[in-house]
Amino acid sequence: MGKNQLGEFEEVVMLTVAILYGEAYGFAIIEEMEKRLNRKVSIGALQTVLRRLEQKGLLESQLGEATKVRGGKRKRFFMVTNMGRKVLEEAKEQRMQLWNAIPKIAFNDQ
Amino acid sequence: MKETLPNPPRMLIRFFRWFCDPYCAEDIEGDLLERFDKRNNNNGKWSAKAHFALEILLLMRPGIIRPLFNNQKLNSLDMFKHNFILTIRNFRRYKNNFIINLLGLTTAISSVLFIWLWVNGELQTDQYHENRANLYQLRTNHPNNDGIRTEPGVPGLLLEEIQAHVPEVALAVACTDAHEFTLSQDKIAVKAPGKFASEEFFNIFTHKAVHGDLRSALSDKSDIVITAALAKRLFNTTDVIGKAMEWHFFQSSKQLVVSAVIEDLPPTTSEKFEFLMSWDYYHNDLIDFKGWGNYYGRIMVVTNPEANTTLVSEKIDQIVEEKQGRDAVDVFLANYGDQYLYNKYHNGVQSGGRIEQVNLFILVAIFILLIACINFINLSTAQAAYKTKEVGIKKTLGASRASLMSQYFIESTLLGLLSLIVAVLLVWTLLPQFNAISSKEVVFQPDYRLLLTGLALVLTVGIAAGSYPAFYLSGLRILSVLKPGVTLFKGNGIARKVLVVAQFAIAVILISGTLMVKRQMDYVQNSNLGYDRENVIYFEREGKLLQETAAFIAEMSNIPGVKAAATSGFMIGGANSTGGIGWEGKAEEDRIEFLETRCAQGSLEVLGVELLEGRLFSKDFGNESEHIIFNETAIREMGLTDPIGKTVRHYSGNKKIIGVVKDFNMKSLHTQISPAFFLFKPEQTLFVMAKIGKGTELATIKQIEEMYKSFNPDYPFQPNFLDQDYAALYQSESQVATLSSYFAALAILISCLGLFGLVTFTTQKRQKEIGIRKVLGSGVWKIIVLITMDFTKMVVLAIVIALPLSYLAGQRWLDNFAYRIQPEWWWFALVGLAALAMSWLTVSAQTLKAASINPAESLKDE
Repeated sequence: MGKNQLGEFEEVVMLTVAILYGEAYGFAIIEEMEKRLNRKVSIGALQTVLRRLEQKGLLESQLGEATKVRGGKRKRFFMVTNMGRKVLEEAKEQRMQLWNAIPKIAFNDQ
Repeated sequence: MKETLPNPPRMLIRFFRWFCDPYCAEDIEGDLLERFDKRNNNNGKWSAKAHFALEILLLMRPGIIRPLFNNQKLNSLDMFKHNFILTIRNFRRYKNNFIINLLGLTTAISSVLFIWLWVNGELQTDQYHENRANLYQLRTNHPNNDGIRTEPGVPGLLLEEIQAHVPEVALAVACTDAHEFTLSQDKIAVKAPGKFASEEFFNIFTHKAVHGDLRSALSDKSDIVITAALAKRLFNTTDVIGKAMEWHFFQSSKQLVVSAVIEDLPPTTSEKFEFLMSWDYYHNDLIDFKGWGNYYGRIMVVTNPEANTTLVSEKIDQIVEEKQGRDAVDVFLANYGDQYLYNKYHNGVQSGGRIEQVNLFILVAIFILLIACINFINLSTAQAAYKTKEVGIKKTLGASRASLMSQYFIESTLLGLLSLIVAVLLVWTLLPQFNAISSKEVVFQPDYRLLLTGLALVLTVGIAAGSYPAFYLSGLRILSVLKPGVTLFKGNGIARKVLVVAQFAIAVILISGTLMVKRQMDYVQNSNLGYDRENVIYFEREGKLLQETAAFIAEMSNIPGVKAAATSGFMIGGANSTGGIGWEGKAEEDRIEFLETRCAQGSLEVLGVELLEGRLFSKDFGNESEHIIFNETAIREMGLTDPIGKTVRHYSGNKKIIGVVKDFNMKSLHTQISPAFFLFKPEQTLFVMAKIGKGTELATIKQIEEMYKSFNPDYPFQPNFLDQDYAALYQSESQVATLSSYFAALAILISCLGLFGLVTFTTQKRQKEIGIRKVLGSGVWKIIVLITMDFTKMVVLAIVIALPLSYLAGQRWLDNFAYRIQPEWWWFALVGLAALAMSWLTVSAQTLKAASINPAESLKDE
């Protein structure tokens, strides 16, 4: 799965979508990310990444029902696909491997 | 719930909706609004608005901006395939229309291709010389009593002066026009066109050597350069450098050595010569009239690229003026390559020429293509009534306007492509016939230019023919198409009628134009010029004919088929012209150019020239060389009354007038009859001329040939026909006449095809109406009239529009002739009636069929 190497932002977005399971739409994702990670995210940046991940098959989306709020516009809810999960797990594993490979001495003399 | 919240700027939202991919526009807009609200609550509306704008700006990135095409992410290849299949199905379903369109477009595209080939050939004529940008021919303007005459001739002596005194001229060559001479080698003698040229010839004109070095090929008086084809005719091989041969003309002959062999001249040359001889020999040994008042040379120059041609012209003109001692002529430079197309001068000013024909044919090509496109548009809009349902349903299912348009464009382009393929095959097979008709040597070489032209044609046809259905049909509103009872195409009928009228108008213009050209050509070919040119043959006096002239003429006169025979210097177009005549009462400013013809005993009788006063030359009167005969025009222009017996000064001495002949036109009917005189100089008559009885031409010529062979076994016998020479004067007009009559026929054919398609369609559509009419008691005849009237109105309107236009155009063309026909009103009436008859004939079969259908048939299913 070398091709599906995730970028940092992509990984964060996917994780957030997973956290918000079932409630992950654009605005909610941004809110969640701003709350948890304390970083500013523009809609443009987020939507581009969502689009790209969906194209790669790591996310899937579905339009929700129209409601009275937000000008009657429907929400698009994102879900992590099976493939997306695998990629996330792989990424995590790689990190862990890297962490595990650090000799204890490296971080001791700070 | 009351909405108190401020709204985000609508402009920005609209902008966002415009650029955003429709796929995600809705949910992103929702997100945007939600964020706006939140920020509005937290930070106030200004902050919210500013951030809203910023967010929208940040959204403008590749993943989000709407893609240019197929927003539905359809595979475009699939879409194309789908359209392709639909097109094929449409072709099959509407076979009539398909065949009519294919026929029409094929005919039109072949015509356009033919015209393109022809025009291309014309435009490329003389353009193959590498020096063409700076290559000029000297021409002279001769002012005389009737205006200014422009000639290609200059004094041959000018060459050396130019080379010595005009530094702007890099290269200069003097040569003569091509003429048929006899060449012989061992026992083989042939006639071939050749000219004399000075050394620089090959530095100025681009010719490829097969053998030998062209740079020094014309340096010696006995050098001759021949083409590969001539080499094969004479020696059977092209490797003939250093071989000897002999050149003959009239009383001269010359031993020559082949110095170079060049490739045959390309078909795009305006002057076809097969050999070149030394100008030195011609200038110094052959002619006895070297002088500054004789315009026997043709001089071509290559100027330095930065030279000012007007200045060069003036310098050369200055030289001529100094040498002549007076300002008799104006010399100017004309681009050599342009001369073929711009070959006409009126009063010293360039006034078109062949370029007019080129433009005319380009116009004809555009017209024909237009007519075929109109057919396509008409038939497909007529079909549109059937297609509206298709369009409606497709639109309901979400087809965009663009995809519908592309379907129609694909349909028309595909048809265009198909027609192009058929047309190319057609052109390829018919090219020999075309060349025969147009007397051109057009070659059909598929090259990139042709490919580009073809593609351009297909695209033009595709876009022009497909545009109306594409824009009109795709713009229909779904509701109005699918709702029953809504009538469509109210204006459409009118648009279609306008197109039919335009189409027929063009066809009628082409036909009546052609008719006028044909009439004029008939007039020109058959008009009585004042002399007999039918069945008059002539050939050059060479070999033994020079010494044993009298015996030859006597023997020839004994052949039963020969009505009259004599030697003569007469040539169509006039052999020589001179201003060197003086007469009693000649004023200082009188400048009359006379055509000078050398005659022998019987020359004028062979031509059947009518005598008005006095007598013709006769051996019964002793020494005739002191005598002169004028034509009427000459006498009138000189203002002589009672001319017989008066004396005039000729440049060779005083001559007494012994006769006046009735005017006859020695040149073409483009020009007025010129003043002319005839001198008795039997020893200088170049030709033997004979009038042959009608009906026995072949046998008589055969007998003459046998006799000729007994006198001149070493010379080829090649008789020329006077009437053919005359016809050659109108070659380019005849070409136009023949070609345009073919194209006019094609134009009306295509128009009728379109009409046929339309009437087929209308009668189908009106079947029920016709059925009901018949049930209610209408007769077959009434129904025919009803349907025919529709079309008749259009055709009549077209004729009314077209005839005055073609009359004006025809008048303009006829202005090229000094002697011309007067167009009669009834020709136009005839053309109009013919067009009407054609259209009736076209619609009759379909109308008759529709009108005679049993109403039970047409009404049974409903």
